[in-house]
Amino acid sequence: MTGLEFPLALFLLANLVPALHVALRRPGRADPMLVALLFGSTGVGILVLLAHGGGGPALIDVALVLALLAAISGLAFARRAWHSPEDSHD
Amino acid sequence: MSSSLLRRALALLLLWWMLSEGLPESAGLGAVAVAAALAASHYLLPPGSRTLRLGPCIRFLLYFVANSVRGGLQVAGLALRGPAALRPAMLEVELTLPEGPPALLLVNALGLMPGTLSVRLQGRRLRLHSLDARQPIERDIRALEARIGPIFGGAP
Amino acid sequence: MIEAMSGALLCAGAFFYFAGTLGLLRFPDIYSRLHALAKADNLGLGFILAGLALQADSLAVALKLLVIWPLSLAASAGVSYAIARRADRLGIAPWQKEAR
Repeated sequence: MTGLEFPLALFLLANLVPALHVALRRPGRADPMLVALLFGSTGVGILVLLAHGGGGPALIDVALVLALLAAISGLAFARRAWHSPEDSHD
Repeated sequence: MSSSLLRRALALLLLWWMLSEGLPESAGLGAVAVAAALAASHYLLPPGSRTLRLGPCIRFLLYFVANSVRGGLQVAGLALRGPAALRPAMLEVELTLPEGPPALLLVNALGLMPGTLSVRLQGRRLRLHSLDARQPIERDIRALEARIGPIFGGAP
Repeated sequence: MIEAMSGALLCAGAFFYFAGTLGLLRFPDIYSRLHALAKADNLGLGFILAGLALQADSLAVALKLLVIWPLSLAASAGVSYAIARRADRLGIAPWQKEAR
C-alpha cells in the first residue's frame, strides 16, 4: 500500500461527475452510452484501487464482472438498441 | 480429445488458476467453469485446420501493447489541446490480409492503435476514421498487417 | 523503491483516465469520442494494474491483475468498432475541420 490508492480512486470518481453532467445534456442516445462505457472502464480502475487500498480481493472479481458487463452492454447497444440517426447528437 | 482441444483446456485451466488466485477450494467450481468454457469455445470456434503460431503471436502482442501505449499518449495529447488539434477524416484502405479471422483481428486491433478506428469492413475494403489525417495511417496499417499475417500462417 | 515506482505508475494511470474523460467532453463527434474513450482509458487501466501488480502479495494475484488488462482491451476494441460501425450505418457524418 502506498497510501495513494484511496485518493486516486476518489479522483477517478470525481472524473465521472462532469462526464455524466455533460452527457445528460447532449441530445440523443449515443453520448449516454459512451458515458456508460466510461463508467465501466473507470469503475474497473476504481475497484482495483479500492481492492488494494483495503477493500479486499473480492473487489477485483467485481471489477472483472464490471468490465465484462460494460463490454456486453456496449455491443448490445450497437447491435440492438440504436436504430435511428436522430437518436444521435448533431 | 484432439491436441487443439487439449491446448485450449490447458490455457483455460491456467486462466482459472489466475482468477481464483490459486485457491485450492475453488477447484470444483473451476472444473465446471473450464468444461463450460471449453464447450463454448468448441461450439463458437471449432478447431479446424488453422493453428495459431506462438512466435508471431507474441511478436504481435508486443507490437500491439507498444502501439496502444503510443495511441493512448497521442489521444491524451489531443484531448489536452482540444478539438482545434484534430484533423479527422474517413479513409478507405484495401487490406492485403485474407478475409476471416486475420482481417477481423486487424479491424478490432485498429481501434487501439494511434489515431485509427475501424468503421466498416466489406470484403477486403476497410473504411476507417482517423483522428489526424496527416499521420502515415496506411503505413501503420501495413505494419500491423505484416504482424498479423504470420500468426495465421501467412507470409510475413 | 518498489513503492515509488508503483506510485508513479498509479499516478500515470489516473492521468490517462483524466485525459479520456477530457476527450469525451471536448471532442466534437461520436467517432473522435470513441478514440478518446477506448485508447486513453485502457492505457489508464493498464498503468494502474501494473502499479498494483508490482505490490501484489503473490504471483497468482499479480497475474490476475495483469489478466484484467487484455480482457478489457479486447472488450473495448470490439465495442468501439461495433458502435462506430453502427454510427456509420446510421449515416452519421464525421466532424470536419472546415465546413464543407
